[in-house]
Amino acid sequence: MSLLELQKEVKKFNQASKLTAAVQDVDRLIDLLVSAREEVAAANDPHTASQSLVKLQNRVNAQLETINSDLGRVHKSQNAFHKALGRAFKETKGTLPTDHDPMESQTALINRAIAMHLLREGQFGVASTFIGEAQPQGEAPQSPSQDQERPPSIMISHPDEPPDAMITDADIPSDLTAFQSQRLQEKFADMYSILSSLKQHDLFPAIGWARANSTELEARGSNLEFELCKLQYIWLFKGPAVNQLPATRDNGLTGALAYGQKNFGRFQKRHLREIQRLSAAMVFAPNLGSSPYQTIFNTDLAFEEVASSFTREFCSLLGLSAESPLYVAVTAGALALPNLVKYTSINKAKNTEWTTTNELAFETPLPRSMLYHSIFVCPVSRGQTTDANPPVILPCGHVLARESLQKLAKGSRYKCPYCPSEGVVKDAKEIIL
Amino acid sequence: MGDHESSKIDHENHLLLDQPLLQLPIELLRKNLRSARFEVEKDGSYVKETLKKTANDSARGDPISQPDAVKTLDLMIARMRGVKRKLTAFSEEENRLHRHEEARVKHLAELYSLYSVDDHKYEGWSRTRLDRLLTDYLLRQGYIDSARALAQERGVELLVDIDTFDQMNKIRQCILNGSVQEALAWCTAGDTKKELRKMDSNLEFMLRYQQYIEIVRNRSQTRPDEAFSHARKHLFPYRDTYPTEVMHACGLLAMPPEYVDRVPAYREIYAPARWQKLADLFTETHNSLLSLPSIPLLHIALSSGLSALKTPACHSIHPNSAAAPSHHTSLSLATSVCPICSTELNELARNVPHALHSKSHVEPDLLLLPNGRAYGKARLEDYAKKAGLLEGKVKDLRTGEVFGVEQLKKVFIS
Repeated sequence: MSLLELQKEVKKFNQASKLTAAVQDVDRLIDLLVSAREEVAAANDPHTASQSLVKLQNRVNAQLETINSDLGRVHKSQNAFHKALGRAFKETKGTLPTDHDPMESQTALINRAIAMHLLREGQFGVASTFIGEAQPQGEAPQSPSQDQERPPSIMISHPDEPPDAMITDADIPSDLTAFQSQRLQEKFADMYSILSSLKQHDLFPAIGWARANSTELEARGSNLEFELCKLQYIWLFKGPAVNQLPATRDNGLTGALAYGQKNFGRFQKRHLREIQRLSAAMVFAPNLGSSPYQTIFNTDLAFEEVASSFTREFCSLLGLSAESPLYVAVTAGALALPNLVKYTSINKAKNTEWTTTNELAFETPLPRSMLYHSIFVCPVSRGQTTDANPPVILPCGHVLARESLQKLAKGSRYKCPYCPSEGVVKDAKEIIL
Repeated sequence: MGDHESSKIDHENHLLLDQPLLQLPIELLRKNLRSARFEVEKDGSYVKETLKKTANDSARGDPISQPDAVKTLDLMIARMRGVKRKLTAFSEEENRLHRHEEARVKHLAELYSLYSVDDHKYEGWSRTRLDRLLTDYLLRQGYIDSARALAQERGVELLVDIDTFDQMNKIRQCILNGSVQEALAWCTAGDTKKELRKMDSNLEFMLRYQQYIEIVRNRSQTRPDEAFSHARKHLFPYRDTYPTEVMHACGLLAMPPEYVDRVPAYREIYAPARWQKLADLFTETHNSLLSLPSIPLLHIALSSGLSALKTPACHSIHPNSAAAPSHHTSLSLATSVCPICSTELNELARNVPHALHSKSHVEPDLLLLPNGRAYGKARLEDYAKKAGLLEGKVKDLRTGEVFGVEQLKKVFIS
């Protein structure tokens, strides 16, 4: 029995008896009483009044019975559905670990994470309602004018700063009162306006942004600016029939040529070959479809691709991941939960909490797309390497955890556990994976 | 690790978090029906008894007079009209809950048409789940307006329980503002009293006790016997169940608030912090009466997810190895920041355990640069091309140092 069957059950449940039947029968009871009242009021003789009431007794009792059985039927269908619900989750094993809540004392940090999530998802209205509500009581919300006078707490790339140090945790206070959403909101508002232009195939706002941040982008190894310019060239190249821009001198082949001459110069050093290909395509303009340049001129997915790459770069320059971390964490949480539940139910008796150690005691397999760091598990100790116990590479190319190597070594010499080579411990070098 | 394995959706277990979602509407439906029954029972037996009495009187030769008969009938009609009004409200509530239940079953059943977390439709489903969990969290924190706004914007109104929590939160706020009336009304409405007794709840007693404390605290403004009569009616009958509280209640009479500092045991009784505890007790009772999980599901999902994603590198002291990229994407070599390293969650994840891995996950064909950093061959070549380097040169993706390929060394990860 799965939820698919429960879908049938819920339909049945919906069509089963409901309280409306009881309401109708109460109505009938009222009718009985009302007509009895009319009869009594119309009669002149006291005997009739008493007679009517006696007669009424049986009919009212019967009607009350009917109402009760109406309710009984509702009860029955509720029970049936309740049972079906139990059956639907029969295969879902274990109970949620609600005894111990590691997040209990973290409300401020969770609230901050939610505020940032709402901002990055572009839900600015909800975000401002939330920040207003979640502010500790007694402290008046700061007026926006105050916000602007203060130094920004969220710093956005200054060209002289290394891209690694954009926003650090220290810049964003965990307290929502001090959390200046204004700046972040402005940034994300920019992002959404650029994205919506991209959706309408208007590349200029994105190109402007990429140009303003070209130093950081280049340092990240991103080609976003060039990719955007290239797409603009291709888009003009295709002419009014495709891009639906006005058929002026700035559009079509002449427009593309002018655009390329004006903009590609800066990329000559890094992207010479591609620029050559783009220019050479001019010759094939009449029958591009059968030319060797056909593939680079296929723009079906190009706008979507640059949009997602733009989002990623934009967030990265803010020190944020491209996907909402809250989304990723909750999704990973649901994927890892069965193993956690299995573990907690087995270990309930032992009275140890699963959060007391540095490392989980059970594996929580996640899909490849959710692994963000290289993970090195020492083949000797079977443990993950850490700051205190980093991986080292032996001259033969094999990698071990440093502690494992120290244990393996006899004095200052070791023998590699994976190949016949031997050496001295100090030749093993730390490696950053 | 078999990628395929870990991407596959285990439908039954994937819904662990979602059982309460279907549970609440049916609990509320049952409660709704019980309340309906309570009303029908109450006024139905009034009508029944009245008619029985007139019939008996008439049989004993004391028939009811005509004006009295009309009056009796009018009373009965008024009562039954009251029942009808209440039942109509219950019936509307029933319809609403049915809509909720159906929408929820439909939402959960959608998962069964997905088989892999890599399916892009799964993202939509999982986002809806996030919106649900967030709304639930906001409701439990009492941020009702935010919850409403979020649910409306994301179109998940049928999947969240705004009304239930709104009601609960209003009563909770009343307690925090020093009023127990609303909570007492909740305790005694319909058949709640019976249900509370079934689960051995001390909520009603504690509310009455607090009421008593307030009477004693303000004794100068209240009638002297008010404290006594309250205690006699609401506290003394429970002296076997709550001996300490009843004893304290008696002692409290001799202990005006201004002297309380001398006797620590009584200081706690007059303490304003009791209201917070009372509010929490109310929330806890309310949630367990409706079989709601005692902690927000977002907390459960987060603590599980943070640990599953966390690696030793996420809180590394070396900034270099933090945010180490591990795969590359189509247009750019640069990679996405890890969610645990991202500002939103980094502090939050500091005190949770990191994930256990039994196998290494590194890029294929690792090459070691002379500076001690290793990258996959494909990525180094790609980056060299994009950076416009000369043939035979590579560039460190993070530090930007340039090396000749002859300086690279193959790395073996076993």
